[in-house]
This record gives sequence, structure tokens and C-alpha cells, in this order.
Amino acid sequence: MNIIESAGKPILEIKNLSKDFGNNRVLTGIDLTVYEGEIIGYIGPNGAGKSTTVKIMLGLIDDYNGQITIFGENIAAGDQTYKKRIGYVPETADLYENLTAQEYLVFIGELYGMEAEEADWKALKLVRLFEIDNVYHTRIASFSKGMKQKVLIISSLLHNPDLLFLDEPLSGLDANSVMVVKEILAQLAAQGKTIFYSSHIMDVVEKISHRIVLLSEGKLVADGSFEELKQQNIEGSLEEIFNQLTGFDRHKQIAEEFTAIVQGDRKNGQL
Amino acid sequence: MGNFNILKVVDRGKGLFTKLGIDYPVMRTILQVKLTMDRRRIPTILDNNRSKNKKGDANQFLKSLWVYGFIGLVLVPFLFFTESYLFPMSIVFGILMFMLMTSMISDFSQVLLDVRDKSILHTRPINKRTINAAKIVHVGIYMFYLTAAITAVPLAVSAFVRGIGFFFTFLGLIILMNMLIIVMTALLYLLILRFFDGEKLKDIINYVQILLSVAIVVGYQLVIRSFELIDFELFFTPQWWHVFLPPVWYGAVFELLLTTNISGILVLFAAMAILLPFLSIYIYIQSIPAFERNLEKLLNHAAPKKKRSAFFCKRIAQMICSDKEERAFYHFARLMMKNERQFKLKVYPTFGFSLIFPFIMIFNELRMSSWEEISSGKSYMWVYFAALMISTIIMMLRYSENAKGAWIYKGLPIHNIKSLSRGTLKAFMIHMYLPVFSILSLALMLVFSVSILFDLIVVFLASSVYVIVCFKLINGDKLFFSEPFEMAQQQDTAKVIASFFLLGAMVGIHFLVSFLNYGIYGYGALLLAINLLLWKKAL
Repeated sequence: MNIIESAGKPILEIKNLSKDFGNNRVLTGIDLTVYEGEIIGYIGPNGAGKSTTVKIMLGLIDDYNGQITIFGENIAAGDQTYKKRIGYVPETADLYENLTAQEYLVFIGELYGMEAEEADWKALKLVRLFEIDNVYHTRIASFSKGMKQKVLIISSLLHNPDLLFLDEPLSGLDANSVMVVKEILAQLAAQGKTIFYSSHIMDVVEKISHRIVLLSEGKLVADGSFEELKQQNIEGSLEEIFNQLTGFDRHKQIAEEFTAIVQGDRKNGQL
Repeated sequence: MGNFNILKVVDRGKGLFTKLGIDYPVMRTILQVKLTMDRRRIPTILDNNRSKNKKGDANQFLKSLWVYGFIGLVLVPFLFFTESYLFPMSIVFGILMFMLMTSMISDFSQVLLDVRDKSILHTRPINKRTINAAKIVHVGIYMFYLTAAITAVPLAVSAFVRGIGFFFTFLGLIILMNMLIIVMTALLYLLILRFFDGEKLKDIINYVQILLSVAIVVGYQLVIRSFELIDFELFFTPQWWHVFLPPVWYGAVFELLLTTNISGILVLFAAMAILLPFLSIYIYIQSIPAFERNLEKLLNHAAPKKKRSAFFCKRIAQMICSDKEERAFYHFARLMMKNERQFKLKVYPTFGFSLIFPFIMIFNELRMSSWEEISSGKSYMWVYFAALMISTIIMMLRYSENAKGAWIYKGLPIHNIKSLSRGTLKAFMIHMYLPVFSILSLALMLVFSVSILFDLIVVFLASSVYVIVCFKLINGDKLFFSEPFEMAQQQDTAKVIASFFLLGAMVGIHFLVSFLNYGIYGYGALLLAINLLLWKKAL
């Protein structure tokens, strides 16, 4: 019944992935296969192990158990060339802010093996479309959050990657830019690119993802399209499914206590 | 992005790097970017203008090299000891190692510990060896500049005084020592990060920076004095426990190569000097993965601090602050002064000077007069050195690493913003000035007996008046903790110098009054009255 699997060949395969930090088990037996052209909504509560998984796939963490194959290659082999076809937008806006946008983008392009002129030409075109060309030669340190985010997005796409890891890519963007980026993602997927999309904003994940993977306490607790998840669970929206699957049902109670404390005061002994 | 001549030097090693499995063009690109960023180390919050950038593209570090050149002069006298090599050269390497190690920690920690590299470089298709090589070469370039600045004059002098054989031994050992220092620093960080978190490491780096700036100023004093040392006879025989003193290893190499003295222990030391740098590089390469893993810790915020009871602070605040708002600002300022690393870096060294200078001055007098004469004299007036730091610190209190947080002054319904100045100045007096002043006073009372106690109290009262005058003079109506440190330019130097003259006048008054019968008591009472008036009305 799975329409998605027929969409293409596997790009990314995770087999029995586990990871400990000291005595703390962060990931337990993750199995996941991602196919060409899929947009995976990768969700889970804070500390569920989402960014650890992405860091492992990007080779930032190398002592894990299990096997990860990207583009048909085991990434533990030590060959970094698979990263040529990957683009990454980190959650924290890590940039060398003392560089100008132009210098930074050309530098990143060069790291991906592009010629400086080509990277510059391409970056300038993209910067124009994002309407930040007026600050192309300005140091990133002075940029607003949204402008930095645009630079990050461009830097992740400059080399025309086949697999994208995006961690909260819309943060700081205004509503118009959000529409543009969402549309870009849809079109990239239609062209056969694979997108790994992590976010806490459930409405967006619900709308753009072909398939949703939910991680909770280091385990995969759900994997399927939004429709499939809806059939398996009684709740309506992804947000509610999220709450249900992560075993969280106290939001009302917590909110009540919270507002009571805000209103109360110690002397009158309301609490 | 500019071109760097130093990269052309690095280009010479292209073949070697390529042989080591390093992607040379990529490493060069990374280095070019890193060097460009270093030139812009002074953040440009104010000038985003492109043409301005070009002018500002001068490496602040390179401009400060002459200071190190001057420090290097301290080594020169030791090159004139002709009877022995072991002792003077051990001293030379001791000083060099201290200078290089501390500046390595204080200036290049940013390079070794840059966590942005993780997400920017490690996620791209570059092999790790290339990234690490870029890091080491980057640090190496600066160590080269720094070492060259410190050792240029001593090296030249050594070639003339001791001959060419000595010169090349010296040069070779300096290179070996640099290798050892770079790797040892990295291993030291590895060890610290193994047991502590990133915040602790940042604190340690902060304190090393403070230590370094005190050492440099005290070093100036030593430069002047060290030339007097030439007459001393310095000689020692190596002991087994000297094996724990790395500088002695280097001294031993000179002894072995340039004299006929040979002993087992000297050979052992010399072997350590030559082999250990290579061994430590091997260990370092082995532990790079562990280093990278622990670097993650820098991103994590510290484990929650144990809550210490601030009982005394609360009581003091109750006593000296007139209302709730002032008390809140008092605690706020106390915590800001305690936690802001930039502030500590700029201010703590002046504490060191305040504590050390009175004694340097007294020892200077010791050459001309006897101990008895001094201890019955008025040299304790040097205690005013403690007050000398007040104007600079009050100016520094204007700045903060998180100056943007100052929106609360305007955004919150604060009754009277003057509570901010009152609370902050009181916190400064109690938590910074009083401890330094007390330590200095105790030390001076050991020299001058307890009879100077009342004079010291008068000095404290006088400084308390001085604090308010400085605040009015220098800060005017500028708010505390409200400007970024980058704004701290020389703009207020004139005012600070004016405040020094004022302090000089106050010392003069104190001095004159002390000749009158009971004059000091009258002066004390007057100061107390002025204090009460100023702290109530002027703020």
C-alpha cells in the first residue's frame, strides 16, 4: 500500500542504530530507510535524540552502534565524499560572522569543491531572490535572525545536494519568506531530492512532509504518512498525535497551575 | 578577503602536507578565511560600511607584538653568563615557556576551541585530517610571530656573544619547545574537558589571561632590574628531580653540546628535550577523536551550580540600601561583576597592580634608606594605589558583554533609575574595593605596625568620596552595564587622567593634615560627613 516506497530507490538506510553518552542511552535500535524524493518530517520532544541522529549521519559523532548507509556507502568507512551530496542547515545559526555573506558563501562553495567564481555567481543570484543582495558584501554579524537564516539556507543548497538535513530551517523568517522556502522544498522533492526536516512546529511538518517519523526517548514510535498516523490514532491533528504518542496529556493541568501561580501571591496563601 | 604573505611561506610545505594525506588547497582556503576573520577580531557592530572595513582590516594581534619584543629583552642578560650554560639557559627557557604557554592559552584558545567549526567544517566533504591540520597550522602561524617577537633580539645577541654554534642550538630548541607547548596546551584542554564542562574551561582561560596581564606588567619591572643581576654568580648542579622542570631539559642540551661536561642525568634531560615534543605530537594525534568528542561539551551549558546561600550579601544589602529597588540593583551589579568574564579580564589585573605596586615602591626606597627609617616613615601612603584603580573600574562598569540586556532599564517600570548607580557603586565598594583594600592594609600594617590603622580608615573614607566624584566626572548620566565592550575606546582617557590628578591632590591633603596635631581625626570626621552627604544627595 505504500505509495512512497515506489517513488524511488533508497538514499539513506539506518540499521539498528544505538548511541550512548556515558551511561545515558540516547538512541535505541533505530531502523529507518529513506527513499529518493521523500520529505521526512523528523519530530520528537526535546532531548528525544533527533539532533544526535542527524549529527551521526553527518559524521559529527562517530562512536555509535549500528550501521548507516548513505548513497549506498557505509559512512563509518571514513570516506568523507558522501558529504558532497548533502546540504545541512543547523538549528543554531552557526556562521563565521566576521565574514561578509559573499565571503562566507564562496568559502562554503569551495569546501564543496566548487570553483570560487561559480559559487559567487550562484550565490549572488540566490541572494537576489531572497532579497538580501543589498547586504551581500556586509558582515554577517550585523544581520537579523532571518537574514542569517537565509544565508544558511543558501549555503546548504549552493552545491545542488541530493540529500538535505534541515533543522528548524524556517526560524526567524517572515511569513512571505516561509512560503517561498516551503515551495522550494516541495519543488526540490519533486525533482528527486530527499529532505530530512526536523522541527517543533507541527502544522508545518503536517503540511509539507510525505512521511512523518516520530522519535521519543531514543526510540522510533511512529513512522508513516500523516494519513496513516491519523488512522492509527484517534486524535485529529499532528500536534495531538504527537502528544498522544509521547504520552503527554497534562498540558491543561500544567497550564492551570501556571496561571494560578501567576495570579496568586504568597501572603494571601492561595497556593 | 586579503592575501597573506605568511600563506606563501606555508605553501612551501605543500608537498609535505599532501604526503600526510592533507587536501592542501582546502586547507589553504580554510586558513585564508580564518586569518581574514582574525584581522576582524574587533567586532564591527558599528561599521558595516565596506570601505571602512578595509581600513579596519589590520590584525590587532600583530600590532601588539612589540610588547612581547620588549619582554624578550629580559632574556638578554642571561646570555652573558659564560661560566655555565645549564642554569642561565634553564632560566631563559623557563621565562620563554611561561610567556608562550600563557599567551597560547589566552590568545589562541579561540582557535583551538572554536565550536562553530563543528557544524561549519565537519559537515562538509573534507577529511578530518585536513581540518585538524588547518587548526594546528593556524595556531602555529601565531606562535611563529609571537616567538619571533620575543626571541629575535636574544637570538641576534647570542650569535654575537656566544657564537654561531650556540645560535643554532638556541634556534633549534626554540622550535622544539614551541611544538611541545602547542601540543601540551591542546592536551591540557583535553584533560580539563574530560573532567569539567565548557564553562569551567572558559573560567580557567579567563584566569590565565588575567595572570598573563599581571605578569607582563611585573615583567616590565623585572626587565629593568634584571640587568643588575649580571654580577650574581649563578650555578647549580642537576638533581634527579629537575626532570620535572622542562626548562632544565633545554639547559642540559646546551651544557652537553657546548661544554665537555657529560653525565648520565644531562643526557637524560637532553633526550627529554628532543624526544618529548615528538612523543607528545604522537599522543595528540591519537587523542584527536577524544578531543573532538569532548569539544561538544563546550556547547552544553554548565550543570546547575550549587546554590550558595547569599545570607551575608542579603544582610549587607539590607543595611546599606535604602529601598527595594536599590537592593535589587545591588545584587544585580554584584552578580554582573562576579560573572562577566570580559569585565574580570579588564579589571582584575588592576587589583594585582594595586596590591603589588605599593610594595615595589617601598622596596625601591629600601635601597636608599634603612628598614627602620621606612617603617617609621609615611610610605604607607602608597596605599592610595588601591584607589587609583577606582576611576578605570567605574568606567568599565559602563560596559557589558550583554549590553543589549540593558533594555530593562527603559522597558520596566523603574521608579528611579538612580537606584542603579547607587546600588552598583555600593556593590563595587563592598564586594570589590573593600576586599582588595583590606588585604593591602593588612600587609602594610605588618610593615608599619597597627598605628597606621586610623590613617587607613581615613584613606578608605577618602576613596569612598573619590568613587562618587569619579562616577560624576567620568560616567555622567551614562547607565551601568549598558554599552558593549567594543565601545570602550580611548575617548575618556582625558577624564581618567584628570581623576588621577584629583587623587594626587587628595593624597597631598592627607599628607599635609597628618602634620597637624589631631589633624587626621578632624580630616576623618570631615570626610565622614561629606560621605554621608554625597551618598545621600549626590546620587
